[in-house]
Amino acid sequence: MADERGAKQERNCRICLNGKETARVNDGAAFADEVRRNRRQGVISGEVNVSYLKKLNEVHINTDKGRVRVPYIIVENGASKLTPDLSAKLSSKEIDFNYLLRRGVIEYLDAEEEENTLVATEERYITNETTHLMVDPASILGITMGVNVYPEHNQMGRHSISANFMKQSQGLYAFNFNNRYDARAFLLYYPQLPMVTSVPFRTLELERHPTGQNFVVALSTYYGYNMKDAVILNKAAVDRGLGRSIFYRTYSDEERRYPGGQKDKIKIPPPSTEGYLGEHAYSKLGDDGIIEKETLVEEGDVLIGKTSPPRFLEEQTTFGISEEKNRDNSVTLRMGEDGLVDNVLISETSGATRIVKVRVRHIAIPELGDKFASRHGQKGVVALIVNQEDMPFTKEGIVPDLLLNPHSLPSRMTVGHMLEMLGVKAGSLAGKSFDGTAFSANGFDEMRKFGDILENHGFDRFGDEELYDGRTGKKFKAKIFTGVVYYNRLHHMAITHLQVRSRGPVQILTRQPTEGKARGGGMRFGEMERDALVGNGASLLIKERMLDQSDKTTIWICKNCGDIGYFNYIKNVPVCPSCGSNNLERVEISNAFKLLLYEIKSLHIKTNMKLKSE
Amino acid sequence: MKEFSIQSGEAVGVVAAESIGEPSTQMLLRVFHSAGISSAVVTTGLPRILEIIDARKNPKSPIMHINMAKGIEKNYEKVREVRKKIEEVKVSGLIKGFTENLKSGLMELELDREKMAQHEINARSVMSKIEAFGADTELEGDTIKIKIKKKENLKATRISFVNIRGLPVGGIPGIDKAIVEQAEDGAFFITTVGSNIKGVLDIEGVDKEKAYSNNIVEIMNMYGVEAARNTIARELYSTITAEGFTTNFRHLSLIADAMCFYGAVKGVGRHGIAGLKESVFARAAFEETVKHFVNAAIFSERDNLRGVAENILIGKQVPVGTGFVKLAVKKDDLKKIKSKDKANK
Repeated sequence: MADERGAKQERNCRICLNGKETARVNDGAAFADEVRRNRRQGVISGEVNVSYLKKLNEVHINTDKGRVRVPYIIVENGASKLTPDLSAKLSSKEIDFNYLLRRGVIEYLDAEEEENTLVATEERYITNETTHLMVDPASILGITMGVNVYPEHNQMGRHSISANFMKQSQGLYAFNFNNRYDARAFLLYYPQLPMVTSVPFRTLELERHPTGQNFVVALSTYYGYNMKDAVILNKAAVDRGLGRSIFYRTYSDEERRYPGGQKDKIKIPPPSTEGYLGEHAYSKLGDDGIIEKETLVEEGDVLIGKTSPPRFLEEQTTFGISEEKNRDNSVTLRMGEDGLVDNVLISETSGATRIVKVRVRHIAIPELGDKFASRHGQKGVVALIVNQEDMPFTKEGIVPDLLLNPHSLPSRMTVGHMLEMLGVKAGSLAGKSFDGTAFSANGFDEMRKFGDILENHGFDRFGDEELYDGRTGKKFKAKIFTGVVYYNRLHHMAITHLQVRSRGPVQILTRQPTEGKARGGGMRFGEMERDALVGNGASLLIKERMLDQSDKTTIWICKNCGDIGYFNYIKNVPVCPSCGSNNLERVEISNAFKLLLYEIKSLHIKTNMKLKSE
Repeated sequence: MKEFSIQSGEAVGVVAAESIGEPSTQMLLRVFHSAGISSAVVTTGLPRILEIIDARKNPKSPIMHINMAKGIEKNYEKVREVRKKIEEVKVSGLIKGFTENLKSGLMELELDREKMAQHEINARSVMSKIEAFGADTELEGDTIKIKIKKKENLKATRISFVNIRGLPVGGIPGIDKAIVEQAEDGAFFITTVGSNIKGVLDIEGVDKEKAYSNNIVEIMNMYGVEAARNTIARELYSTITAEGFTTNFRHLSLIADAMCFYGAVKGVGRHGIAGLKESVFARAAFEETVKHFVNAAIFSERDNLRGVAENILIGKQVPVGTGFVKLAVKKDDLKKIKSKDKANK
């Protein structure tokens, strides 16, 4: 039986076209080779990929969309098809990449076909078994990681973190920023080019959109202020514009039309409008109800004055139809924000309604709580801004812009961060910038090269500096590694996250404090927090959190029948509606419980409350 | 002992819950893989904790630990004899191969003499077991020819073939595998995959006082709640410590106590101890709110507000910790005493 099955397998190598079995052949490997040969000769499309799976004895041909494909140089008989002759022609621009594709020198492989290959990373590693040669060793990395410098010296996970930070960084995001009305935009005052870049970075022309600045960094602690991931900034550097950026926020509103011919009106709302915010709030508006350019605005100030028709139709009164009372529907500046009105745009939408956009500009000077990150996944929050005279300094008088805790490095293994510090320090002395493309150079050789430059300029070859404590003037016992790193300012800033509440708005239904920054809410005291207090036996603290600081109300409970009563202010007595008794007691309960009692009541379940004095 | 005792009003339950909840969340995040020669795959980590806490009747990997009776525990040969009697042998474990013909309802089993000798089973007993299942058998050399009665369709025929191959012919049902292991003191013991305490206790050479199973419900049915309580605590402790976490045993024993409080093992949850809480509000706050309120109305239930959850709900000081103590003399009583004092004077 086993023989029978074996024989069957030999006869049947399945061929799957885009995952569907379409034919069978005897020798799958030979068939795949033939397809490949035809593809290289241009007989079939170069977008076809074929692979022979030995374990399954199947040939998979893929022609569908959505496959990630990578170009490789073809190697035949131990020799790269990209001969020195072709290489020279390519550099003299006599031929181009597409020529090589057409001539079968380079081909694109997908993930499945790669399983059939033996790829050499560099030409010198080619053996007789080698089938392909990488165009560049760095091509194993995609766009996001290729942009990183010295990626081969860093831990893998740091690159994904770094890629995330890149998306959050502030910089020169668009050249037409002045004509744009983005809902939220950040613009760095003095963006700089990184001194170490990579080939993908330059190919993508990211030099045109720099995202950060070159910071002088010392790997040093500072009186315990840069513990964990905190960093310390030099006040003088901040004053000179380090990390300074503009934060634009666009507020927009339009005059909507409602069924029944009613319409919103952009104007200064008259005092008779419902929900009138007070004369003071509208004082900065122009006659047209829109704020003027370059006005200083603070939280709660109205930017666009607008009135809307009432939500429901007016009830008929005995005096006929009363005067229509409009609602105030003005746009105010967000809580906790301030700035200057940068520009105002008035236009019309496709629905022929007037639309107003107000762009507010806030100058965001780095402050405590702002987030910075290097290109190696090393993020940090500003914990202290120190006067220049109190910062550590070198004998040349160089004061670092940023102090990074040295403990950030060993556990995260971002050696690239240190290599960048060293390289840029050397580069800034020699007036050169360096290439940090993945696998482009040997790290040890690079270090030696940088060391030589540093030594030539009279610096320590390992980047160490003798620093003096700015506070005491004494020399630090240890030499401190100092260099220059490209730092990004990320858009998580204290001003956009800061939130406090002592008293404030409550939810209508539950009377519990609101949640969220925009609604002036507090921090949620959730189940687990409650459990922690119960575990500690802090019974009065639980009562304070869950009742006194939350939804405390008082109700009248009938001592006679146990139902909820009310207080009759005319007769000045509490009344029980179910038994008519006046023997009621004022009881402090949570509003949530009151709601629950009402809800149970709505289920036609009567609750009796028996009171007991304590 | 006095200095180790808990003060009155201490929220032992919450602390116990936190002490098992915290390592559980850690286990979710960090899967600890131990590479070893352990022959039996045991459920570990969070799934196992859930199994214990829910008091599941059929745990994923039941395991037994069987000690040998006095006198033979250091005799490897004798322990192996016992092992043979314990491990369940199925027909499929005694054959080299088989052929089946679904149409005619014929199956041929090719017996493996070596394996049969190992388990001390002869062809006759195998055949009698198959005949008891309802099939005709015939021995021809090393092959047993089986003919089953005609079934309504081929599928039914195939299923009965599979069932015949799965017939137990020896050992204890439910025990898939038994392994002899040696303790540090040189005594041999048997660990099994699959659990059947009742069956194991009938085997001679087994220490009848020390047969251990990790199936809590089985332990309860066999030895009673107290044994089940100890097993819960022990299993929880070993699961947590195996993952590299530490928890005080007292928390776990408290959980075990709570689970066995009602005289039989109850899981922690809606159908277990959480659903048996005294307070209507506490039950309603946990799960199935409306059901509890409606039932409370039907049976005219009364909530004495003695627990934590219900007091937080209504906004009273919770009877835990600092809220646990009450004044012995009430304000009104004090007035009475004072007026009495005045009268006395």
